[in-house]
Amino acid sequence: MTDRLSVIFAALADPTRRAILARLAEGDATVSELAEPFTISLPAISRHLKVLEQAGLITRSRSAQWRSSSLQAEPLREATAWMERYRRFWDVNFTRLDAHLHRIQQEEREP
Amino acid sequence: MSDATTQLVLTRIFDAPRELVYRAFTDPDQLAAWFGPVGWSVPRDSVDIEAKVGGHQRFTMVNDEDPAQNSPVDVTFVEVVENELLVGEENASEIPEFAGSLMRMRLEFHDEPGGKTRLVLTQGPYTEDFVAMAREGWGSSFTKLDRTLG
Repeated sequence: MTDRLSVIFAALADPTRRAILARLAEGDATVSELAEPFTISLPAISRHLKVLEQAGLITRSRSAQWRSSSLQAEPLREATAWMERYRRFWDVNFTRLDAHLHRIQQEEREP
Repeated sequence: MSDATTQLVLTRIFDAPRELVYRAFTDPDQLAAWFGPVGWSVPRDSVDIEAKVGGHQRFTMVNDEDPAQNSPVDVTFVEVVENELLVGEENASEIPEFAGSLMRMRLEFHDEPGGKTRLVLTQGPYTEDFVAMAREGWGSSFTKLDRTLG
């Protein structure tokens, strides 16, 4: 796994951050709007946003007064593609295992 | 967002008893004989397996045409039940901030009628959160995110 993907997966591993992403899937939002459904402080939300931003999962507008966040789909697509590669890897690998198991059982029967 | 984004789950039935399928993953001679994608091999001398908690499963996949291309694997077992279960972890990140970010692979070996074995593989970046997330299925709001991803 590349470090970039590790950062994406680590960012996704937190339930609050996933909830923030789900909220942003509905549209851009400010820090206070994002904090609304949670019982945690604004600075805590800001820290989560920083992690999401570092992972490239969101972008934040530069306006200090009205800083809104937007969802970025590309890193999530990367995460999905990475999983898909693993799926193909194991599909092929299992086919080889299947052939191997046939072979060794045959050898046991016909020494 | 579907579970496939975060956890890979594959089930395959093999026409061999459980002990044999288990051995294919834990016996170095066996693993070297089959592991790897087409066009890749696992040299026997690269394999070192100690199937116990805290033990390692180390080996290297080498490209048949270009041996300079190789991919080392180093897994630490965290759960081992002979002929039943193998759970291994691989550190996925060198970034100190995310040092806890591990890839976990879980292999379950189940009996199937007719002396067959059902193998269930679960693999993914693994934390308790991810397990909870997989159970929740990410909730309905992620349906929208799915569409975003198209």
